[in-house]
Amino acid sequence: MNIVIVGSSAAALSAMEHFRVHDRNSQVTAVTKDCGMPYSKVLLPYVLRGSVPYKNLTIRSEKYFQDLDVQCVHGEATALDRERHCIRLKDGRVLSYDRLLIATGARAAVPNIPGICHDRVCYMRTKEELDHMLPLLERNPRVAVIGSGFVALQAAWAARYRGLPVTVLGHRIMPTAIDEVGGECVARAIRDCGVQLLAPVDTQRIEHLPDGSLRVWLSGEEFVEADVVLVGAGTRPNIEWLAGSGIQTEKGILVDENMRTNDPCIYAAGDVAAGPTVFGEAHGMHSLWPTAVEMGKTAGCQMAGVDMPYPGSLNMNVTEMFGVTVASVGRIRNQDVDARHPLPEELGDGYCCVFEKDGRLCGASLVGSSEGVPFLGRLRPLIAHHEPLSCPVEELGWLVNKRAFAKAPREGWTR
Amino acid sequence: MNEERIVKTLCRMCDDRCGIDVHLNGDRIVKIEGDKSHVWNRGRLCIKGSHGAEMFNSPERLKKPLKRTGNGFVEIPLEQALDEIAEKIREIQTRYGPRAVGVWKGEGVGFAQQEELARRWIHAIGSPNYFSNDSACFASRWIGNGLVLGPQGFQADVDNADCLIYWGQNPPNSHPNVTQQINRARARGARLIVIDVRFTQIARLADLFVQVRPGTDGALALGIIRELIANNWLDYQFIKNYTVGFEALKKYAQQFTYDYVSRETGCDAAWAVPQIAREIRNSMPRTGIVVGNGFEHHENGVNSIRAVACIDGLIGSVDRKGGKYLPAGPGLQELTLYNEKPLRHLEPLGADRFPVQYDFRHECHTMTLMNTILSGKPYPIRAIIMTAANPAITNPNTRKVKKALGSLDLLVVRDLFLTETAELADYVLPAATYLERSELVTHALFHTLTLTRRVLPPPEEVQDEYQFFHDMAHRLGAGDYFPWKNEDELNRWLLADSGLTLEQLQEAPSGFQYAQPRYQKYLEQGERPFRTPSGKIEFTSDYLKGYGYSELPVYIPPRTNIPDPDYPYTLVTGARKVMYCHARGHNLPALSQALTAPEMELHEANANDLGIQEGDVVRVTSRIGSIKIPVHIASADEIIPGVVQITHGWRDTNVNEITLDDTFDPICGFPVMKSVPVRIEKE
Amino acid sequence: MKMVTILPERCVGCRNCEMACAFAQSGDSCSRRWSNIRVDVSTAERFVMPIICFHCDQAWCMAVCPANAISRNGDTGAVVIDPTRCAGCKMCILACPYGNIHFDHEQHISRKCDLCGGDPECVKHCISGALNYEEIDELIGRKRDILDHKLAKVMKVHQGRTDDE
Repeated sequence: MNIVIVGSSAAALSAMEHFRVHDRNSQVTAVTKDCGMPYSKVLLPYVLRGSVPYKNLTIRSEKYFQDLDVQCVHGEATALDRERHCIRLKDGRVLSYDRLLIATGARAAVPNIPGICHDRVCYMRTKEELDHMLPLLERNPRVAVIGSGFVALQAAWAARYRGLPVTVLGHRIMPTAIDEVGGECVARAIRDCGVQLLAPVDTQRIEHLPDGSLRVWLSGEEFVEADVVLVGAGTRPNIEWLAGSGIQTEKGILVDENMRTNDPCIYAAGDVAAGPTVFGEAHGMHSLWPTAVEMGKTAGCQMAGVDMPYPGSLNMNVTEMFGVTVASVGRIRNQDVDARHPLPEELGDGYCCVFEKDGRLCGASLVGSSEGVPFLGRLRPLIAHHEPLSCPVEELGWLVNKRAFAKAPREGWTR
Repeated sequence: MNEERIVKTLCRMCDDRCGIDVHLNGDRIVKIEGDKSHVWNRGRLCIKGSHGAEMFNSPERLKKPLKRTGNGFVEIPLEQALDEIAEKIREIQTRYGPRAVGVWKGEGVGFAQQEELARRWIHAIGSPNYFSNDSACFASRWIGNGLVLGPQGFQADVDNADCLIYWGQNPPNSHPNVTQQINRARARGARLIVIDVRFTQIARLADLFVQVRPGTDGALALGIIRELIANNWLDYQFIKNYTVGFEALKKYAQQFTYDYVSRETGCDAAWAVPQIAREIRNSMPRTGIVVGNGFEHHENGVNSIRAVACIDGLIGSVDRKGGKYLPAGPGLQELTLYNEKPLRHLEPLGADRFPVQYDFRHECHTMTLMNTILSGKPYPIRAIIMTAANPAITNPNTRKVKKALGSLDLLVVRDLFLTETAELADYVLPAATYLERSELVTHALFHTLTLTRRVLPPPEEVQDEYQFFHDMAHRLGAGDYFPWKNEDELNRWLLADSGLTLEQLQEAPSGFQYAQPRYQKYLEQGERPFRTPSGKIEFTSDYLKGYGYSELPVYIPPRTNIPDPDYPYTLVTGARKVMYCHARGHNLPALSQALTAPEMELHEANANDLGIQEGDVVRVTSRIGSIKIPVHIASADEIIPGVVQITHGWRDTNVNEITLDDTFDPICGFPVMKSVPVRIEKE
Repeated sequence: MKMVTILPERCVGCRNCEMACAFAQSGDSCSRRWSNIRVDVSTAERFVMPIICFHCDQAWCMAVCPANAISRNGDTGAVVIDPTRCAGCKMCILACPYGNIHFDHEQHISRKCDLCGGDPECVKHCISGALNYEEIDELIGRKRDILDHKLAKVMKVHQGRTDDE
């Protein structure tokens, strides 16, 4: 069999590893438009902050591909021909496949703001974007950050960590990861770190001043001046090259629980794919590293003919920014939940909250100490399986261990 | 480069004497691990055991003698220190009489011969005044059991018991590796009953947990006796042949009805008593009852212990397999001089007030000592030689202890560190650790004798116990009593009658088994085989009656059962934490991170009444003083409401500043450290 | 391959394992916060449970690590974190369904059980016998089966989704 995998990040790597567990014989070709060995997008803000050395971005070696017996092809896929079972690369090469995995990922979204196309307007999605940004930040610039989601705030924290003056222009703080109360905690932490946080504000346009700096105009004739603008405004899946191929796409490529597209020979996984979630959505998109790993694993197994049904993805994310740990699992938005249950403050983990929908656990979030993260980790399987909320929330962390391992109460114990 | 090597010896960070592998690199101790081939601990160690290495390597260890001067302590040469100390002892004995000098043994450097050497030395120089930590720990169990069974080393035969009752003892903290022994017994089907004031760690393994108020164990024991008798769950043959006082006990026990026991103990006796009695019936005589330190430190402690020991007699578990076994000792020679040179006519301190205690233990009374030092009555005591004891932390009424010891003409403290007590001394002498000494140590239950190894020689001016007492005796004209050149010669002498040789023991670094278990040895020893005055198991004691005490193991309710409106809470102290042994270990930087400060355990119901939250600091006040301490709130049945617990051993928050040194068990003289009336106020 | 096995019915919650692990990990402190093994205790529910990394066959922490810092030690079978690669992102901590990975606030990296290189201190300090370091493959298999079985029953998890979903 001839396997072609387009992409070389989390989903692609996970897929080829799991494929090889079951199939050592088929030929596997990985097509990547990145130069060099695979790197980790998650680490970009850490490198930007200076807490991880640049070389550690690279997470796989040539030996890894040799050991896996995967042939690497450097190039960018530009077209898919399903009838001929082949893809065409930008340089004209044609690769044919028996099974194709599309793991082309997503790129940073460019918001529709006049003046945004400029050298000093930066994104933090790829190594190339980091390479572009790093020298700019060396020159002690004033930094404005557009956005207040996960990526935007990580970028803002990294810039602040480097000692730069930073202004954040955003709305709700990480609305998909934490609730308003958690958002307030993060906002406090942001301000405590000396970052100017303007929210909610809309960015109207970006003016290019003669000295090379930028003036970011906000509604109400207010503006912020900056030497560098960092944008974190979500992602767009890389699906344009599939236009006309007949692969069904909406926001991303639609896949079933086997990561299969509407073409039985073609699979998709990672940030480019929209697959089932544990909450019953058929096509949800997370754009998260762990989801990509899970989807890649499923796709890899399925391509090797091993049935590995995917129970749906459960969003999870964690980071430390502005001195606080922010973590979330599952659903936490007002429109998705019935009730929120904050844990007692005296547990000392900060603001930790469990969310409920229809009497069942549906999510959890943390703003505070990293000591609270293992608790969220223990909750993850409970959330995935819609555990009924039947005990005090602070005891949920024990629930699995207790049920699995606790001894049955004995006669003498209960008196 | 030095090669790493391993020397096997025994741990002495507490008195459990686990087998250890000491890993050395040259003359540096790298780490200490459990000895897998040792029968007691089977390769496992508690955290303080492995931190023997930290203790040994501590830069704070004393290596030079110190002498107090106007400018604090100065280092002086060892020989000078010994000369000066001897001279002062001579002066004091000349001026005030021989008995004006006392010796006090503690546990800071381990146990074994250290105690007998101190006893020998003090008698050798003509004073009967031997003191030790035992007069506030352990001795009352020896007495209580001894009054009923005879003063011999009876022990619950854990490995063979079908039912174990841990009563007032929490082995995971106080005898850590007994926990695996208990678990082995449980794994082969033995039942476990735990009776305590607190839901302790061992209670977590229990088939049956019964919670009683402090000092009321005697009522529960007598309730159980009543139940056993009422159901005829007894060994009549044994009772008939080998006991005295059954009818009197039977009659006395009748009043311990469920109602009365419930009222006194606070437990539901109608539920608990029949359950415990049934477990005893199902297992007898393989019923191993362990009485812990929880019985001591109460005014009626000895009688409560007697009551429990009576159960052993009633069910005939005495010296039975799985019961209250009497292991054979290795037959070492005795070092003490109580036969050769008894000195009772010199009025050992406290022996008049607590004669039973002196008869059984030859211990003088440390609480009386403090008053005597301060008052000179009944006769002056002006010098104390203290070896590895730290009463400034561990004795009740710290303020008085410090005042008394500080007012002596001569206080000599031998220890590993400059302890709170050493700070009061005129001379501080550096003592050898257990890794620098060689002693004979017995694990009687396993019939094993171990010669501990001198892993490394002590530093130049650091002496082992024997050398110190030897040198002092020779300087004071009592050298004839210390003829042996060193520890090794002493060990050889100790073995002389045992049929064992040092060489044999050296070849068995994990212990030499000197005997096989033998049960019911009393069957071969005539009609009066036990070492009580009657030669039988004594449910009633004429001996006690002769001193004016009750002949029966009577129950007298603790005063705390009727709360004093001024001091409505009952303070319990004396229970250890596993990382420390009493006052030891708190100065080791790594180990002490495990638990940096004591807390007061308070039930959540009481906490609610007092408006106290976790971590709040409260003032705890007894009739003699108060301390401030943060609160840990106990939930469910972790502790009985109305009772609070504070662990001893800390310098800064020292619970013994408020424990009482004037209320005693009248038989053994123990202070009531587990039923101290206190009040609690939020700070 | 050896594994630390847990017999919770023997555990008394003495926490010697935590203190020993803490010291092995930190080198200078027995404070529980350094420990990779944790004992959960609830007196009210009569619940004592030591919990330590299972070094799962399909370790989700390892799969999910975006820094490729987690790998399996070939000698001991331990799933270990390379401190020179760990970015401190905490993804593994969130990934572990047992709460067995902890954050080191001083070095800003994740910490987990590494079986002390094949001589686990927790076991040597387990005075109750609840923890054992055992060679027998069958036993491991049986224990993991029991564990999976129990977990699956509890969670109604489809087999195969236990360790990495």
